[in-house]
Formats: sequence, C-alpha cells, structure tokens
Amino acid sequence: MNQPHAALIAELAETLEPVRAMKARDGIMLVALAAAVTVLAVWLAVGIREGITTGSASPFFFITNGLLLVLAMAATAVAVALAGPSIGRRTDAATWAIAMVGILPLTALASALPFGESVSLLIDPHSFYCLVSAVAASLLSFAVLAAWLRRGAPVSTPAAGLFAGVAAGAIGSFAYGLSCQIDTLAHLGVWHVLPVLVAGLAGLLLLPRIIRW
Amino acid sequence: MKADEGSLAQLMRLSQQGDKRAYTVLLGECAGWLERYYRRRVPPHQIDDLVQDVLLALHRKRSSWDPARAFLPWLAAIARYRWVDHLRKVYRSETAQLENHDGAVDSEEDAIMARLSLDRLFVQLSDPQAEVIEMVKIEGLSIREASERSGQSESLVKVNIHRGLKKLAALVEKAE
Repeated sequence: MNQPHAALIAELAETLEPVRAMKARDGIMLVALAAAVTVLAVWLAVGIREGITTGSASPFFFITNGLLLVLAMAATAVAVALAGPSIGRRTDAATWAIAMVGILPLTALASALPFGESVSLLIDPHSFYCLVSAVAASLLSFAVLAAWLRRGAPVSTPAAGLFAGVAAGAIGSFAYGLSCQIDTLAHLGVWHVLPVLVAGLAGLLLLPRIIRW
Repeated sequence: MKADEGSLAQLMRLSQQGDKRAYTVLLGECAGWLERYYRRRVPPHQIDDLVQDVLLALHRKRSSWDPARAFLPWLAAIARYRWVDHLRKVYRSETAQLENHDGAVDSEEDAIMARLSLDRLFVQLSDPQAEVIEMVKIEGLSIREASERSGQSESLVKVNIHRGLKKLAALVEKAE
C-alpha cells in the first residue's frame, strides 16, 4: 500500500462499483444506429430520390455521397476512439478523409471560376434548404457522439470535438443527400460538403466545454 | 517490486468487475507509478496533490479503459492530461499576477521551479518571448525592469510573457 495515499485509496476501493467498460465497437454501433435512424427519418419525411438503384443518378451523386460515407466512418472511428485516454496520434485516417472530401468543393470552384463565371453560379434555389436540412440531419449523431465523449475521458478535447462534429456532419449530409434531386457538381460539391464544415466547427467550438472533465 | 503491464491490466479488468481487493492493489501501484512520473515534471510539494487528483480521475473514469487496449498508456494519458490542466492553472494564476504586477517571483524556490519547468521548452519560443519570461519569471524582475533591460515596451513585455506561456502550455499538451 502506498502510504501517503492510503486513506484515499481505501475510500475509493470502498465505494467501488462494477462498471461496463467502454469498447470502441459499442460506440461505433451506437453511431451507426443513430445514422440508420437518421436515414429512416429522411426517408419518411422527404423520401429517397429515384435512380439510386437503377443507376440513373449522376456519377457526382454517387461520388459525393460515397465520399461522405467514407468520411463519416473514418471520423466516427476516430471520435469514438478519442473518448478513451491514450498516448499517440490517432487522427490521421480521418484527417486524410477530410482532405479527400475537400477536393469536391475545390473541383466545384475550379470548374466554375476559370470560365469567368461568378461565384453566384454555385448558388441555386435549393442551396440553403439542403444546407439547413443536412445540418438538422446531423443533430442525432452529434448528440450521440457528445454523450459518448462525455461518458469517456477524452484527453484531447478540441480534436475529439472536431472529429465528432465532422462525423455527425458527414452522416447528416449523407443521409439527407439520399433525398436530394439535384446532382450537379456545383450543388453537391459545395452545399452537401458545407454541412460537414458547419458541424465540424460546432463540434470544435461547443463540445470541448461539454466533454471536459 | 513494480507491477508490469500485464499485471496492471489484469488488476484493472478485475476492478472494472468490482473486485475491491484488486482495486486497492491497483491504486497503490498506480500511485507509485504516478509519483515517479511527476517527479521530473512538477515541484516536489505538488506531487501528492497531482497523484491524488489522478487517482480520483482514474476512479471516476475507470469505465473508459477498454480491456482490449494496454493499461499503462491509458494511465499515462490521464496523468498527462491532469498535468497539463495543472500547468494551465499555474500559468493562469501567473498571468493574472502579471495583470496587477508587483514584480517578481515570490521565492527562490519558485524561481528554481520555474526554470526546471520551462528550460527544456525555451528553445521553442521566439527570442523576445524567452528573454522576458526569463527576466520576469526566473530572475524575478518587474515588468518595468524587464522593459528597460530588454528594450521592449511594458505592454509588449506582458504580451510576450502571456503568449510565451500559452505556447509553452500548448507544447506540453502536444508532447507525447
């Protein structure tokens, strides 16, 4: 027994109760469940667009939503893992996934601007509706990840907040994106990626205060 | 005898299941490990408080250890997190002292401790930041004296100290 701390150790041991260990698999399952509920809610609320199963949707539709899904998985894995204290860098996969998705808005800008078009070309009547809807669709996953991190012991709270936000934003944008009928590069590359940025910033700014311990 | 990773992980597994005897042994081993960990990082009179702080954190967050992962990196990460938190509090109170500055470091012991904490990281700071932190936090000069000796204005001295300490805290946080 360590003498200077004997009293505290005895007290802590006396109050010990069994706990359920937080396993990464459980956290990922919870987020996957939240994502499934979100997709179902989008389906019931606004329906899923036609042409997904027949392949008649544009390639940009599949590319954008595929990349968002990959980002959602990578960021979720990182955010869930960050709930457990550990030494070393664990964010590389999600960082590269963010860079990968970042190519979409860059491509949208690059394809519009060199022809002398104004940035307004990137805005269409559904832009803000898609942005707000996707952010709203990310709320459930955001709440689930916040609760998971709060239960855990994240030692890098800004990184945990950021990746939780990015994961929730990617899930929300993917889920809502399944209903969106507009599949131009400008619309998908900007307005379906922007929710990830918004949710990521929300996670970075809001979550550290909630999950600090 | 110091317990190894395998024994500690096994003790923690039993502790998560509610085994009080295993938990008592585990906390005793952790306390010893933490004392050694903090010995090179904080002044001796602060070690006990930090060790107890981490033991409480370990107790509160014991469910966050995944039995599939190693135990010591988990403990080390908590120890570092609480240490950084401790440094932030120290820096915050030192920065607050700068706001109503009366001068100098309170005692010779504090000056030695400040040097121990900061020296290894000083190379990461800009010269003006390192210069005024050295003068005010280690030599014990007042802001005015540091300003006269360094040629920086008083407000710049304060800004450089504030930014330098903030950068040091960030460096410590990033350190693995």
